[in-house]
Amino acid sequence: MLTIDSVYKSLGEFSLSNVSLEIGDREYFIVLGPTGAGKTILLETIAGIYSPDAGRILLNGRDITDVPARERNIGMVYQDYMLFPHLTVEDNIGFGLKSRRADPAFIRGKMQESADLLNIAHLLHRYPGTLSGGEQQRVALARALVMEPEALLLDEPLSALDVKTRENLRTELARIHKATGTTIVHITHNFEEVFDLADRVAIMRGGDVIQVGAPEEIFRRPNSDFVAGFVGVENLFSGTGSSDGTVAVGNLRMRVENGISGPVSVAIRPEEIFLSKTAPPENGRNVFPGRIETVRPNGGLIRVAVEAGIPFRVTLTRQGFEEADIVAGDAVYLAFRPSAAHVYPSGAHEEA
Amino acid sequence: MNLKNPSYFRAATVAIALLIATFIVLVLIGVVTHSPPAVLVECLLSEEIQFAVRLSIITSVISTLLCILVAVPVAYALARYTFPGKTVMNMLMDIPMALPPLVAGVGLLLFFGVSPIGKSLAAAGLAFVFTPLGIIMAQFFVNLPYMLRVTRSTFQGVNPRYEYVAKTLGCTDAQAFWRVTLPMSANGLLAGSVITWSKGIGEFGAGLMLAGATRMKTETLPLSLFLNMSTGKLEYAIAAATILIMISVVSLYAFERYGGATHVY
Repeated sequence: MLTIDSVYKSLGEFSLSNVSLEIGDREYFIVLGPTGAGKTILLETIAGIYSPDAGRILLNGRDITDVPARERNIGMVYQDYMLFPHLTVEDNIGFGLKSRRADPAFIRGKMQESADLLNIAHLLHRYPGTLSGGEQQRVALARALVMEPEALLLDEPLSALDVKTRENLRTELARIHKATGTTIVHITHNFEEVFDLADRVAIMRGGDVIQVGAPEEIFRRPNSDFVAGFVGVENLFSGTGSSDGTVAVGNLRMRVENGISGPVSVAIRPEEIFLSKTAPPENGRNVFPGRIETVRPNGGLIRVAVEAGIPFRVTLTRQGFEEADIVAGDAVYLAFRPSAAHVYPSGAHEEA
Repeated sequence: MNLKNPSYFRAATVAIALLIATFIVLVLIGVVTHSPPAVLVECLLSEEIQFAVRLSIITSVISTLLCILVAVPVAYALARYTFPGKTVMNMLMDIPMALPPLVAGVGLLLFFGVSPIGKSLAAAGLAFVFTPLGIIMAQFFVNLPYMLRVTRSTFQGVNPRYEYVAKTLGCTDAQAFWRVTLPMSANGLLAGSVITWSKGIGEFGAGLMLAGATRMKTETLPLSLFLNMSTGKLEYAIAAATILIMISVVSLYAFERYGGATHVY
């Protein structure tokens, strides 16, 4: 269990303000946020590179706030690998065990084990400068894992890699996490990594943690305009909530999942909206008439803009699009379930 | 070159470059070829020039080692840490470089000759005034800024995250420096040492002031050149100059070779 308790840290333009997180044993925890959100400082503070201005950090019940980095047993892997260029792959991996003055035979055994885990046994005698990005990142992972860290921190580990390598290594990370059971804190600005890897996600902005939850939860139930925008909710409306579980947005009154009275935001994911030319049965759903404004193919998906008094964005699969048989200018009906309309108070977690 | 459309500007700039390169080569060849080869060899093998070569090499090697020893920790502090007075300190360290060496020499002479610190050092057996020790001190004082600047920019070129990783792998600050930053800086330090050493060999003004120009006592190569020139023994002066030219050319080559190969990680 890694506990970050009300941590503050100010470092020039980057800062952490009152960050609290509880990361469970063996959990794969992703911290998501735009550049400048303070994600790297968070990791470096956990690793012990910086000491917090205020707050505490606990690792498995031990208060490590004032423990130097070398005694924390927390591994760190950076986006740019940071392999020691003057040492071979073998010496890079063995670096930490040599610091601990481990027995040479023990070092060799451990090194072989982690080289096998990362599939880099054939690279042991090479220098980092001669390796590809993906290979270098594997070596960096092996160098951290060979120490059997109590927690492993990954700072945008996939961001410097090309698309194909990134996908491979993403799968590898999931496998390694399963094999070693190490608690992992992984930061990224890329939402794709979340669904494949994360048990839970925290969203950060400007040094604050804004929302923490399972990926599905963050994805479907953002708690603020910022998170909604970040996870790709394209239908964000301001409205007035009533205690009967409806929200008035413009001229529309929609049934929603969680009724809140007063000024609210409504977030509806574009892929949760159904389109048809004939009026579909309501079955408790929200059904509104509208008109197709634009139809824009985007890779395998079709993005449709619909005007229904308020502007909706709808994403259809190619098959769904063909079944709906629609073109720009058609009159259509939009339908979505109340559970697809997520509501939170207006102005939640706005930047001061 | 495009012959249909000649650029006079290009022709003019290249011509000036050629002219000045020729001038430099002529000046150097003029020195080296002034004496007949037999005379040059005889002078090079003379006791006085041999003494000057030995003294120059010993003093410059020691002063270079001292420069490395001091520059490495100072450059590291200036490259990595923030502390009060850092900006002022950075500027102070560069002053000896901008100062005319003769002025540095006068300062050193007063410091080691008449100040209480200098006097007590002399009383303790460390006499710098008019001794070979003074040559080492003069070279150290004048050349330290060069070593410092090269070393500082070398350390700044090493991403501190290498040290962060080293610390998460069990290193203390000092171990991270010793096992990671220092080896990664090897080329830069080598290049800095070569340039510092070659400047030490050629150091004249400050050494003249502090150590004086005593034949066969504080007679380094540049001093030998100066002494023999002023007493009319031109062929000895030429011999000293020839050696200095060779050292300059070789060390410049070494600096370019290693300095150019310095990786900025």
